Amino acid sequence: MAELSITGLGKTYPGGVQAVEGVTAEIADGEFIVLVGPSGCGKSTILRMIAGLETITTGDLLIGDRRVNNLEPGDRDIAMVFQNYALYPHMTVRKNMEYGLKNEGLPRSEIDARIAEATRTLRLEDYLDRKPRQLSGGQRQRVAMGRAIVRDPKVFLFDEPLSNLDAKLRTQLRAELKALHKRLGATFVYVTHDQVEAMSLADRIIIMNAGRVEQIGLPMDLYLRPATRFVAEFIGSPAMNFVEGTVDPDRRSLAVNGSHSLRFAEPLPAEPGHKIALGIRPEHLTEVPAGALSMELEVDFIEQLGADTVVHGKLAGANSPLAVRLHGVQAGAAGSVVTLGCEMDNLHLFDLGTGQRLN
Amino acid sequence: MQKRVVFRSRLLPYLLVAPQIAVTVVFFFWPSYQALESSFFLEDAFGFSRQWVGLLNYTELFDDPGYLRSFRTTLIFGLSVAFLAMSLALALAVAANRVVRAATSYRTLLIWPYAVAPALAGVIWYFLMNPSLGIVAYWLQNAGVDWNHYVNGDQALLLVIVAAAWKQISYNFLFFLAGLQSIPRSLIEAAAIDRATPFQRFWTITFPLLTPTTFFLLVVNLVYAFFDTFALIHATTEGGPVDATSILVFRVYSTGFVGQDYGSSAAQSVILMALVIAMTIVQFRYVERKVVY
Ligand SMILES: Nc1ncnc2c1ncn2[C@@H]1O[C@H](COP(=O)(O)OP(=O)(O)O)[C@@H](O)[C@H]1O
Ligand SMILES: [Mg+2]
Repeated sequence: MAELSITGLGKTYPGGVQAVEGVTAEIADGEFIVLVGPSGCGKSTILRMIAGLETITTGDLLIGDRRVNNLEPGDRDIAMVFQNYALYPHMTVRKNMEYGLKNEGLPRSEIDARIAEATRTLRLEDYLDRKPRQLSGGQRQRVAMGRAIVRDPKVFLFDEPLSNLDAKLRTQLRAELKALHKRLGATFVYVTHDQVEAMSLADRIIIMNAGRVEQIGLPMDLYLRPATRFVAEFIGSPAMNFVEGTVDPDRRSLAVNGSHSLRFAEPLPAEPGHKIALGIRPEHLTEVPAGALSMELEVDFIEQLGADTVVHGKLAGANSPLAVRLHGVQAGAAGSVVTLGCEMDNLHLFDLGTGQRLN
Repeated sequence: MQKRVVFRSRLLPYLLVAPQIAVTVVFFFWPSYQALESSFFLEDAFGFSRQWVGLLNYTELFDDPGYLRSFRTTLIFGLSVAFLAMSLALALAVAANRVVRAATSYRTLLIWPYAVAPALAGVIWYFLMNPSLGIVAYWLQNAGVDWNHYVNGDQALLLVIVAAAWKQISYNFLFFLAGLQSIPRSLIEAAAIDRATPFQRFWTITFPLLTPTTFFLLVVNLVYAFFDTFALIHATTEGGPVDATSILVFRVYSTGFVGQDYGSSAAQSVILMALVIAMTIVQFRYVERKVVY
């Protein structure tokens, strides 16, 4: 079967750039895995090592139960969709899709059957005799997927396949990708820097930072219990608020900026004197000043999104930036003060130095 | 966005291009016109008298088996030079593209032959291949090849082909290398994932994508071989032995300056001019249409 086992994977480029370090992950057969992280964190490098386009510096890579570290890309039973599509510009759509099958030496009837099937799935019937340059971005992306599908590989690799498309098309193709994954039942490894894409597509997410894995988990795990401050900040939009401070001896208040302090209904799960970053998602703050904590927000400006209103401002007396996401259309003026509350369960505590989760 | 410089004076731009125009008129249009004119006259060797003969110079040329042979020789010479110079340059460019993506020293070395004057290139090969002095001729003789391009016409033709091609390789190399580097790496990678062997990748992806470069170079190389190799041939074989390396441009010279038949020589240069113009048109039309794949 097509599970993917990655152990201690590392990559040092000639010239000394250590792009990936000690990445370990088990990917189940038929899983949709999304590798997400900021630009330059090593996502493409991992994908390219899986594909066989970059040599593996350290670690082991198994597809099924075969160690593929030293296999040629063509022998790994994978297919890849590139960000720039990488369609052969001098070949028609049909020729593009045939190319790999011919190289495999499949009989004509089999080739035609597979192309017919993929063409139907991706609604490419009308474009088979066109050259890539005669197609729109979305159509090219479909052809690139078609070229992967006809190969019938165990593992599909995608490197930011939607990032060259406009927002509307991106949403549409996202849905198609999800449906395609369901139909094919193959293992998908998908790279993106867009957390929304990651959350909406993934069975599980691998979130990376500077060549290392920060956390692996279900999208909701990453949202509800981010393991590090980095993950907490990366997942969710608008981004999580952070208030930095020192836990007081009674553990019921947090000294922010020395003068100002926040009081909590229950003791904080952190040692007295510990320097922490308290994380609260904008959507978890409410205007009802109940719950575990009450705080005051000095309004700077308001973003009306229609369904929601995002109020941006500062924690009164402490200067930490703070954003709140409120339901519906809300009024508010710059300079006014809003009192906000938050449930204890929605507080995230991170060590200020290491960024590790404390609660 | 392109910024346009606008001259305040209407005269200045004309003044600026005047030298170039003057050079072109004096050294190109005027002699061209003179050649065209003389091709319709029969002139005595000392230039004292001349007589209008209409197209006689032309009709005589096409009845002359020597001239027709020259056409054939030129064709063989041109195609061989283009093929040799382009295939070697492509092989070198592929190697360079693979080994050193950015290193320029290797590239610089390969450009050197292009800086050598054609006559010098001819002389270098003349010495290398000289039956009594040349080191390459000596090696060939040791290898059992009886090399003497003074006697053997085929060998003489081979010699000028090699010398002419050698000089052109570096030029072709630069264009091929640039062409190769403009092919996105992801295409080759996609082909590798599609199970194409390196050999298949080259012939089914790289080479077709180089078509624009290849076509451009083919025209440039043919033009070079047809019209730009006079000095080289003059310095090595002087068109001989007999007529074996007497390509069309060389024949213009030998008919005119050696044979002193100015009318025929002029007619030959007019034919050559027509050929250049035709090839230039082909190239321009092609450049306009650009991508062919
Ligand atoms: N061929 C290469 N040679 C040297 N360094 C590279 C190469 N490719 C990528 N890198 C470096 O490795 C790091 C990770 O790159 P990449 O995997 O492309 O990141 P991502 O896809 O997450 O944006 C970056 O710092 C990048 O500059
Ligand atoms: Mg990338």
